Amino acid sequence: MSHDNSSDDADRFTRRHYVAGAGSLATVAIAGCSDGGSGDDGSGDGSADDGSGDGSSDDGSSEGSELEIIHWWTAGGEQDAYNALLDGFREEYPDVEVVDNPAPGGAGSAIDAVVQNRVIDGNPPSTFQIWPGQALTPYTDEGLLEDIGESVWDDEMRDAYLDDVVDLSRPADNLVAVPINIHRLNNLFYNVSVVEDAGVDPSAIDGPQGLLDALETVDAETDATPLVHQTQSPWSSLQLWENVFIGEQGVDAYQTVLDGDVEGLEDEVRSALDTLASYLEYIPEDAGSISWDQGNNELIAGDAAFLHQGDWAAGQYEGADDFEFESDWDMVPFPGTSGVYHSVIDSFVFPTNNPSPEATEQFLNYAGSVDAQERFNPIKGSIPPRTDVPMDDFGPFLSRQFEDFQNSDSQPPTIAHGTGVAPSIHSALEEVFANFNGNLDVDAAYEGIRDAF
Amino acid sequence: MVSRIFAALTRTTDRSSASGSSVAENRGATEHDATAARTDGGAVVDGSEGSASEEPEGATGASLLTRLGRSRFLESLPFWGPPGLLVFFFVYGAISWNFLISLTGWEGLGSPDYSSLSTAAYTRLLSDASFVAAFRNTVALLVVFTALSLVVGLFLAILVDRGIRFENTFRTIYLLPMSLSFVVTAIFWSWMYNPRIGLINVALRGVGLDALTQAWLADPRFKLGAIIFALMWQFSGYCMVVYLAGLRAIPNDQYEAARIDGASPVRLYRRVIIPQLRASTMSAAVVLVVFALKAFDFLFVLFGVNPGSSADILSVMMFRVAFDRLQWAYGSAVAMVLFLMALSVIGPYLYLQYRRGEL
Repeated sequence: MSHDNSSDDADRFTRRHYVAGAGSLATVAIAGCSDGGSGDDGSGDGSADDGSGDGSSDDGSSEGSELEIIHWWTAGGEQDAYNALLDGFREEYPDVEVVDNPAPGGAGSAIDAVVQNRVIDGNPPSTFQIWPGQALTPYTDEGLLEDIGESVWDDEMRDAYLDDVVDLSRPADNLVAVPINIHRLNNLFYNVSVVEDAGVDPSAIDGPQGLLDALETVDAETDATPLVHQTQSPWSSLQLWENVFIGEQGVDAYQTVLDGDVEGLEDEVRSALDTLASYLEYIPEDAGSISWDQGNNELIAGDAAFLHQGDWAAGQYEGADDFEFESDWDMVPFPGTSGVYHSVIDSFVFPTNNPSPEATEQFLNYAGSVDAQERFNPIKGSIPPRTDVPMDDFGPFLSRQFEDFQNSDSQPPTIAHGTGVAPSIHSALEEVFANFNGNLDVDAAYEGIRDAF
Repeated sequence: MVSRIFAALTRTTDRSSASGSSVAENRGATEHDATAARTDGGAVVDGSEGSASEEPEGATGASLLTRLGRSRFLESLPFWGPPGLLVFFFVYGAISWNFLISLTGWEGLGSPDYSSLSTAAYTRLLSDASFVAAFRNTVALLVVFTALSLVVGLFLAILVDRGIRFENTFRTIYLLPMSLSFVVTAIFWSWMYNPRIGLINVALRGVGLDALTQAWLADPRFKLGAIIFALMWQFSGYCMVVYLAGLRAIPNDQYEAARIDGASPVRLYRRVIIPQLRASTMSAAVVLVVFALKAFDFLFVLFGVNPGSSADILSVMMFRVAFDRLQWAYGSAVAMVLFLMALSVIGPYLYLQYRRGEL
């Protein structure tokens, strides 16, 4: 009020300067910030930056000789197997420096976030572990995996792999993944002496219902836990349900479910859930606070009778002292699934925008070689996807598995381990079984399964 | 919402700090931004009284005032400018962008499509059973955890404040859990809660209360309670420190006066002391609520992305939906709900602080 016009003008003039100054400062600040961040394209600033802050070692390792591998092999014998693989790779390619970047968590529960963030940011690792099949679809939908049909999958390698496995590496048109191992999911491991004490003959169990009777017998006859299981995370129950379903209904019905028709098989799905709920009455009381390998130690110690798990569990038996195959532990196919090799496969891929194309190609070539699979698989407790790997080092158990594999009628993909369903369905099913682990509510679980597909 | 609160703050700043507010009123609307900016600058250098005293000088020579204003503004600019800009772009910018993403329907590893926006993600939230469960659990966690921690913290503070021996030692012991990360405490409590060998069940069996032993972290009836208890263990020490500071600020005369008047210790605390701790309660509660909203790490370590509907909270659901299912838009919608919840706690707090002249 007391100001005259001229002072007002001067005021305004200077204020304009303030605004201009603030504006130019902002410009400088933004420029400075986007330099530090991932300044690749328009979408690469702000939140992409804070999203990638968790697992990534964003040291801009763009030297071609540094190979960054993200994997989840940190438990039990898995880590030893992975190290054996790396040793072999280093021998073959001594110039490549391997940057090991584990994202621990059973069945890849933590790896996705790390990898996806970095892929979206255009800063992928050199290669990462992933299930082949449907699990690859988010990446192939957006063309984020390099076609390695020429560079890695030469004719020699194609001939060495079974066709089913090659198909899983080709979710779309191109070959994008190199499978390195095949696990069997439908195993029922048991501690021989505990089972003998209970008077149960595992090879005579004729179906999922028969297993329930066996569990009942073990519970009545011994102090041991009938079935070692973990409910801390839901994947173990999910894979057990898959096997109960195949055991009760067969592979064709299972394929129908994978294709999305749950409603047509309502009674069958519910029946498998009922059986699973009955099983869960025979699991350790601390199932909710242990991991599967902690539970497996109980079986080794003779405090538990049965374990349903993929054959990665056998690696732990091999590592245990005085615990021998056939005399101390043994395995039968999950009751009702004897002709089935329910396969869980791990593979490595070649992400686009690769920081080290040459080293990645070398690694993938190595992963597909006889030498790599011969080193890796015996320790991992899996069979090689290549059919020409000498089985000398594999021991009696894996040799038997390999024989079963070659004689199997079908090798369906799995839900719990990603090859059978897209990741969003997989995650929704995991949520269903997380709830089922707590409340054993068959109705809610059925609705959840129906809605997930 | 941010802009509304921001506007509310700047408006009240105008009203209270500018003694020459009539000047501001006379100016055109075009200059509003600049006025706000200068008031902000004034507030930062805490010069409202200073400028009031300079005012007469400025009235005699307008150019002097502008020069003064300019220099003051320029002087303070390096202090509030860069951090202000960084916060604006990387906090508010990111929040706005997150909101935008929640409208796009973005899924998968491609890029979001900003051309067609809809609120489908938000309507989907309302019909999603897992969202309802997560929301309910989050609210329960917030309320129960905050209330329990405050009560326990206050109790500890009163005990420690009574001139006990080894006071510093006790204070450190109680505060120590707060210094541990959620990852450590989560694993630690998963051992404590182990139904077979965990300390809690072993202790219960030891005193013959076998009937009370539970699978604390597996049974849906106890899951959330067990989590709340563990979090309370971790944060009640913090409440104790805040309350202790509050108690120390109360003059000893009041204790003596109440005692002379014949008040029992219980009456003394209930009628005289605790009512004066409102400020401590407020600030501790806000911190606790924010920590409760961020309890993600604790649950993630215990259960991974699927705690089950009895213990699922919004932050875990957000992670699950976004990173497990690649449904970024839906995850962003959950994030917005979380943001609104945090805002609904912090907003009133800031406003109250401001009203009291503490901001």
